[in-house]
Amino acid sequence: MEAMRIIMDEHQSLAAIIHAIRLMIHEIGAGKLQPDFKLFAAMVRYLDAYPEKRHHPKEDAFLFAPLKARTNEGDEALARLEAEHAQAEGRIATLQAALARYTDGAPDGFAGFSAAFDAYADFYRNHMLLEEREILPLVKKHFTAEDWAAADAGFAATPDPMGGTRTTGSDDDFRRIFSKLVAAAPAPIGLGAGPYQDD
Amino acid sequence: MTNQAKNPVLQIDRLCVSYGKVEALTNASLTVGEGQIVTVIGPNGAGKTTMLSAIMGVLGSKGTVHFDGSIEAVPEVERLVARGMNLVPEKRELFGEMSVEDNLVLGAFQRYRMGHRDHPKTLDEIYDLFPRLKERRTQLAGTLSGGERQMLAVGRALMAKPKLLMLDEPSLGLAPLIVREIFRIVTELRRRGVSILLVEQNARAALQVADYAYVLETGQIAMHGPATQLADDPRVVEAYLGLGGKHQAMLST
Repeated sequence: MEAMRIIMDEHQSLAAIIHAIRLMIHEIGAGKLQPDFKLFAAMVRYLDAYPEKRHHPKEDAFLFAPLKARTNEGDEALARLEAEHAQAEGRIATLQAALARYTDGAPDGFAGFSAAFDAYADFYRNHMLLEEREILPLVKKHFTAEDWAAADAGFAATPDPMGGTRTTGSDDDFRRIFSKLVAAAPAPIGLGAGPYQDD
Repeated sequence: MTNQAKNPVLQIDRLCVSYGKVEALTNASLTVGEGQIVTVIGPNGAGKTTMLSAIMGVLGSKGTVHFDGSIEAVPEVERLVARGMNLVPEKRELFGEMSVEDNLVLGAFQRYRMGHRDHPKTLDEIYDLFPRLKERRTQLAGTLSGGERQMLAVGRALMAKPKLLMLDEPSLGLAPLIVREIFRIVTELRRRGVSILLVEQNARAALQVADYAYVLETGQIAMHGPATQLADDPRVVEAYLGLGGKHQAMLST
């Protein structure tokens, strides 16, 4: 059941980044923090590169597809989750557009980015709740040893590229980026070494 | 089921600690194998810190502590550090008026007294693990952020080149992003061969990195098993993980 542990671990990585962005927006809104646009952009790139392009395909291939082959329980939830996975490009584009307006100094730029991010965070909260409350229990109920072996191998083969705690490689470029995000985020959200510098 | 680690680095057997008439730890037994991360989870006041303090010899105790092949009849801090045990306390206990680098070098004091002169190389290794500390090496420790202080506390303990590193609530008071980074470093330490005893209230994070886990409640080991199994145990889920999990709470605030 290593796949289960990896998926929960990756959800925590994602939640930590979303939490950090949410706190930074809050602090900016309260006048306590100046925006670091490069850091925001790097974090949004993370959201695109990690959950949308890496994490979701693993769920589709190694959890959802074999679950559908075992049972029709949860079909409705699975259909919704798969549809949401397929809408990744639009979701990120909306966020990037809002960030671009904010970065370019549009009068309503901050409010627009804040609203777009709230929508994104709310989406992920509901998305992960649906996975964890409805689908993962069904996976535990219906998966055979064979299914688990395939899922474990699949998840382990494409580890959390952004610092998930179960990864074993030390030179993953994504891991370095994750550490860089942690370092650059303002304290106490991160280590406070910002502003973020592009490579 | 017990922790069937092939090469136990630490074994405690029926450890008891009392504060006056109050027994804070009762017959606690636990094993940490070589290269393992073993976690002790439990609520505030369960006796987790007491357990670490007793193992380290900071608190008097009854029972036995086997460390790295021999029994510590009466655990003493200085001897245990010299033998390769180290503790990162919950309060970090840094020297705020000293620089980051001086705090780190102090961590190698015991080895230096024993004639080892390898601390410059160890310092480089610590800076490799914590690049932020290198950037801040001339800063006073008292000026560091919470995450930096935790990294410094861990780095200082590593300067003693421990075989067993005990971490007391390393995520306490830190934002989720930093907690992720701290736990990533903990797994990196395991990869480098350090055995780790991790005491945590953040059960979800601890169970995800640990190989084996113990649940401590009101001074007694209430449950134990491989971390993957405990993470799936309904009693642990209900008491320590909760529906939706901690990261859902992060997203809601």
